[in-house]
Amino acid sequence: MTSKPRVPIEPGYFTVPSGPDEVPLLLGSRCRSCGEHFFPRRVVCARCLEKNTEDVTLGPRGTLYTWTYVHFPLFGAKRADAGGYAVGQIDLPEGPRVQSVLSGGPTAFRIGMEMELDLETLRENAKGDEIVIFRFRPLEEAA
Amino acid sequence: MSLQDVAVIGVGMTRFGVFPDRSNSDLAREAGLAALADAGISFREVGEAFVGYIFGGAMTGIRAMKEFGLTGLPATHVENASATGLVAFRDAVWAVASGRCEVAMALGFDKMSAAVMGGSRGPGRDSIDSVILPAAYFSLWAMRRMHERGTRVEHFAKIAAKNWNHGALCPWSDRQPDHRITPEEVLASRKIAEPVTAMMTCPVDDGAACAIVASKALARRLHPGRPVVGVLASVLQTETYSPGHTFLGPVVGPATMSRDTAHAAYEQAGIGPEDVSVAFCHDAFANEELEYYELLGFCPEGDAEKLVEEGATALGGRIPFNTDGGLIARGHPGGPTGLAQIHETALQLRGEAGERQVEGARIGLAHLVGGGSVCTVSLLARE
Repeated sequence: MTSKPRVPIEPGYFTVPSGPDEVPLLLGSRCRSCGEHFFPRRVVCARCLEKNTEDVTLGPRGTLYTWTYVHFPLFGAKRADAGGYAVGQIDLPEGPRVQSVLSGGPTAFRIGMEMELDLETLRENAKGDEIVIFRFRPLEEAA
Repeated sequence: MSLQDVAVIGVGMTRFGVFPDRSNSDLAREAGLAALADAGISFREVGEAFVGYIFGGAMTGIRAMKEFGLTGLPATHVENASATGLVAFRDAVWAVASGRCEVAMALGFDKMSAAVMGGSRGPGRDSIDSVILPAAYFSLWAMRRMHERGTRVEHFAKIAAKNWNHGALCPWSDRQPDHRITPEEVLASRKIAEPVTAMMTCPVDDGAACAIVASKALARRLHPGRPVVGVLASVLQTETYSPGHTFLGPVVGPATMSRDTAHAAYEQAGIGPEDVSVAFCHDAFANEELEYYELLGFCPEGDAEKLVEEGATALGGRIPFNTDGGLIARGHPGGPTGLAQIHETALQLRGEAGERQVEGARIGLAHLVGGGSVCTVSLLARE
C-alpha cells in the first residue's frame, strides 16, 4: 500500500514522519545564551533578548496542563453537525507550553495526563497531497 | 499639568445591542454629542481625538469624527482588541497631562454583530494559528482553576447571574432581564465550552461610547458644584515573558499580566486595592471575573471563591464589580467597551448611578485585557 505524500499546512512548525516508525516533532528554538526553549521558532530570545538561537526539535510527549471541550463545530467546519472538539495546553519537558487541538471526546481528558504529538489530515490539495496539522492525543485513559 | 491634574469632564454612550440599521458614524455621533453635552462644551474646544474601533476597516474612525464637524483637530486611530476603548482613554488622558492639548476626546464604536454575522469568523483549521475561540481559551483558564482550587461551576454561574441582574438596572445595558436571574438559570443555558455556558458569556454587540477629558480646573469651571472625577492612574502593558509562555494560538496571554498592570496603576495612583469602591473588569466570560478578584488585589490568592460566596462583588457588597452589568450584560461591542466602563465609573463617582449607586463611591477601577495581548487599568477618584 502506498500512502499519499503528506505536507504541513504551514512550513516551519512540525516535522512530517517519512515512515511508520517515526513520530512527528515540533520545530522549536533554543537560546544559546540563556538556554530557554521556545515553540514556535524564533530568532531573538524572548527572555534574554539575545539574537543567538539555534533550531531544535521538541516533543513528541508532554503533560496536559489544561483542556476544554467545545460544543460547537470547529471554525471552518462546513457541516453544522460536525460535532465538538477538544482544545488544550501541553507542557513539554523542555519548557514551552503548546496550545493545540486534542483528539478525543468530552470524557477523554484529565489534567496531568501524558499526551503525544499526532498529525491530523485536513484535506487534499490539487496535487493529491494530504495537508496535515499537528494535534495531541492522550496516551492513557482519563478515568 | 500632570496626570493627576486631569479630569473626566463628560461621558456619553449609546445603549449596547444589535442595531442592523445604524452605522458606525451614527452610533459615534450619538455617544460623542452626549459626552460633549455632559461636559458642557462645543466640539470646537476639543483639541485632540483618539478614536477606537476594531472591526470598521481603515479610515473608519477619522470619517466618523466628521459627524461632529471639521475643525482640523488631530485624530488618531487606536486599536488594542477588547481593550481598545480604555486604551483610547489612556491616550486622551496623557495628551492632556502632557500639555499637548487642553481638551481631548476618547471615542469608541463598533458593530461586532456585522463582523461576526458577516461570516469573518476566522479561517478555522485552515491556519496553524487560528484553532481557538475566545470561549475555548477562557474555558482553559476555568478548567485549570477548578483543578487547582476546587472552584465549582456554580461560582462562575453566580458571577454571571450577578452581572445579568446589574444589567437589569442599567439603561445602557444590552441585557435587561425582566426577572431575577438565578445561578441555576445560568447553569441550565446551552453549554459553550466545558464548563462555560451561554449565559456566562458576553453578547455580540454594536454601540458607541465617549469620554471627554481636560484639566480639573476646567471641570470645576464648567460644572461648579458637580463632583470632579479626577484621574489617578492610567496604565497599559503587554505581556512580560515567563517560562511556559504560549506563543501560538492563545487569545490572551498569562493571567499575571493583569496583576502586573494593576500593580503599576496602584503605584502610579499611590493607593491600594483597599481604597477602591467600585470596579470594572474584562468579564467576557464569568470565570475571568473570578480570577481578576485576585489579580487586581481585592482578595488573597485562593480566596476569590469566598468573595463570590459572600456576595461581596454584587451591589451592596464590599466591592461591587461591574455595576452596569459588565461585558456579560451591558455588552461588549469591542471599541467602545472600555469607554462604557469609564461612563459608569464617572456616574458612580458623581453619585448619578441611580438604582446602581454604590454608596459613597470615591475611587473606581477599570480593567480590560485585549487579545495579542495587552492589559490596561485606569483609576479614577471623586474630589
